[in-house]
Amino acid sequence: MTSPEIPSPPPHHGSGHTEGRPAAERRPAAGQGTAAGTALAVLVAVVVTAVACLTTVYLSSQSARAAVAWGSGAAGAVLCVAVAVAAHGVLTGRQLRAQLAAQQAEAAQREAAAAHFADSVVPSVVERLRAGGSAETALAEAPPVHSPAERRVLITLATEVHKGESMRASALSACANAAGRVQALATSMAADLREMEHKHADENVLGDLLHLDHRTAQAGRLADSIAVLTGARSGRRWAKPIVMESILRGAMGRIGGYQRVRLHSTSGVAVAGHAAEGVMHTLAELMDNAANFSPPTSEVHVYVEEVAAGIVITIEDGGLVMGEVALRRAERLVSPDAADPGLATLSGTRLGLAVVGRLARKHGLSVSFRPSAHGGTGVLVRVPRELVTETQREEPLGEPSAAAPRTEERVTVPGTAHERGEAEHPAGSEHAPTPAHGVQYGESGLPKRRRGQTLAAVARTEAGPGRTASATAASTASGASAAGPGTEGGTRQARPSGARFGDFRRAVQGGSPPEDGGGTAENDSGTPENVTTPSAASPASSPARASSLPEDDTE
Amino acid sequence: MKRPGRDEDPDRLYTVTGGRSRSAVGADAFDLVTLVVSESEPVRGMQSEHAAILRICRSPTAVVELAADLGLPVSVIRILLGDLLAAGRITARHPRTVRAADALPDPDILKQVLVGLRNI
Repeated sequence: MTSPEIPSPPPHHGSGHTEGRPAAERRPAAGQGTAAGTALAVLVAVVVTAVACLTTVYLSSQSARAAVAWGSGAAGAVLCVAVAVAAHGVLTGRQLRAQLAAQQAEAAQREAAAAHFADSVVPSVVERLRAGGSAETALAEAPPVHSPAERRVLITLATEVHKGESMRASALSACANAAGRVQALATSMAADLREMEHKHADENVLGDLLHLDHRTAQAGRLADSIAVLTGARSGRRWAKPIVMESILRGAMGRIGGYQRVRLHSTSGVAVAGHAAEGVMHTLAELMDNAANFSPPTSEVHVYVEEVAAGIVITIEDGGLVMGEVALRRAERLVSPDAADPGLATLSGTRLGLAVVGRLARKHGLSVSFRPSAHGGTGVLVRVPRELVTETQREEPLGEPSAAAPRTEERVTVPGTAHERGEAEHPAGSEHAPTPAHGVQYGESGLPKRRRGQTLAAVARTEAGPGRTASATAASTASGASAAGPGTEGGTRQARPSGARFGDFRRAVQGGSPPEDGGGTAENDSGTPENVTTPSAASPASSPARASSLPEDDTE
Repeated sequence: MKRPGRDEDPDRLYTVTGGRSRSAVGADAFDLVTLVVSESEPVRGMQSEHAAILRICRSPTAVVELAADLGLPVSVIRILLGDLLAAGRITARHPRTVRAADALPDPDILKQVLVGLRNI
């Protein structure tokens, strides 16, 4: 790095120096002045004493003249010496006092300059460097410095601080970037694992997959923690509000000892999608603390309570009660009022509370600690009202929102499908085979066509010939992703085919018990499906497939 | 409902089953088409999947259909059903096994039906 130039001081500034330097030059002149003054005083004294001596000698008698001359001469000489000494002393004293005053003033100036350097120049330079400025910019914008030594100090300081700052920034961004990649990997691994869990029905394989899934979730949480601490964006975004049960289970699934966590929640509220991930992560960290700091055999209990100000989630463990110091440290870390302590307080191994503090400040959660009734520590997390939404519930029980519309459909469709099936199936209606997909009947009594349904019918037609028995239909439900083109094929196809299976059966049965569903009723609605859907198939093959339908149902 | 590459559900399956990968009542208690009927109403504080199963199974419902409705793998549904069966909240009915040949209608009748349908 090139050594930056520090601007030279303006002439009006630092008057102490401008006075100081001439004062040093003036010192010999002052010495000469002292000598001249002394000489002048001696001259005057000599003249005066000489005149006095001559007058005395002249006035004295002849006989005593020699003695008087010697006496007065000596006295005059003594007087002159005394005058010279006195004059010199006075003049020297005056000069020394002046010098002292000048040096005192100079010292005061230097002290003020040093204070200015320490209190104003250095902080402003450091502040500019912390704000991201380069060393040159910071030095150029700094208040002028006069002393070369101070200038060197400032240059060294700026260079070093800038180096430290840039190291910190690059380390942070590298960490954030790496954490983001690990997050993305963990997310896609979780999606893959879920797909595999749908695909493999074997219990041993499923057990291994669940184990891997759990490990992946823990790795994902660690990456999330690092992302939160480095200020990167949080891992997942949920588009819809997440119900409390899912929040708690999502949090619980990310910690090692999740099987020790007991959820006691009857609350049906949901947390807004944008904050759901933060709340989940906060709860996961607190549950992890609770599980880690309690005996491995004890349970961690989680309670949810709806209050006026939002939701309070209590996590209680049966471990050790936190000490006074630990409690205060924890409170400080998660306090929303405290300034963000940054990464300075990280202790290396314990990231949890720092993460909780960050997330709490971000989402306005309030976290507090108290002794637990279970003997350990209880943590209370309050999720503010703004982040809480009510889910529409048909029943007082917490019900996943995805299941709600289907339940309703299920209640209404069988009756209508069966009644109308009689009238419409002979007419060869295209929509007849799909009563399960929630065909809505308009005021005219004709089915309403829904967007995308025709395409879906085509897709079903293509898949139709391969499906000969219920076993195949079922395996499509559990493992359609093997044949499905996309990653989501399994879940997307599982629903229609599985639902279709049941709806077909229900349409066949109507109100009658399932055991009594006779072959005639099946043929009623079953045959049209196979006659109308495979439009490309040869008519000769239709009876064969139609005959396979009863198996579908009564097997 | 689901977009490709997105996992729209924060519930991991091991939290749904509590970490178990096998059913409490044995693997052969439920096959894909076993009809499940609920014997009690869902109670408060119950796991939402259990409650949903009890609600859906008010009318007899096949296991595979439950899986499709809840969007869960059949193996996981079996574990959940095992819990409910052990608690006596559901009963399982194995569908009557009918020999395929017995159930087959006469091809002639089917042909007549086909012809009749075409004539409509």
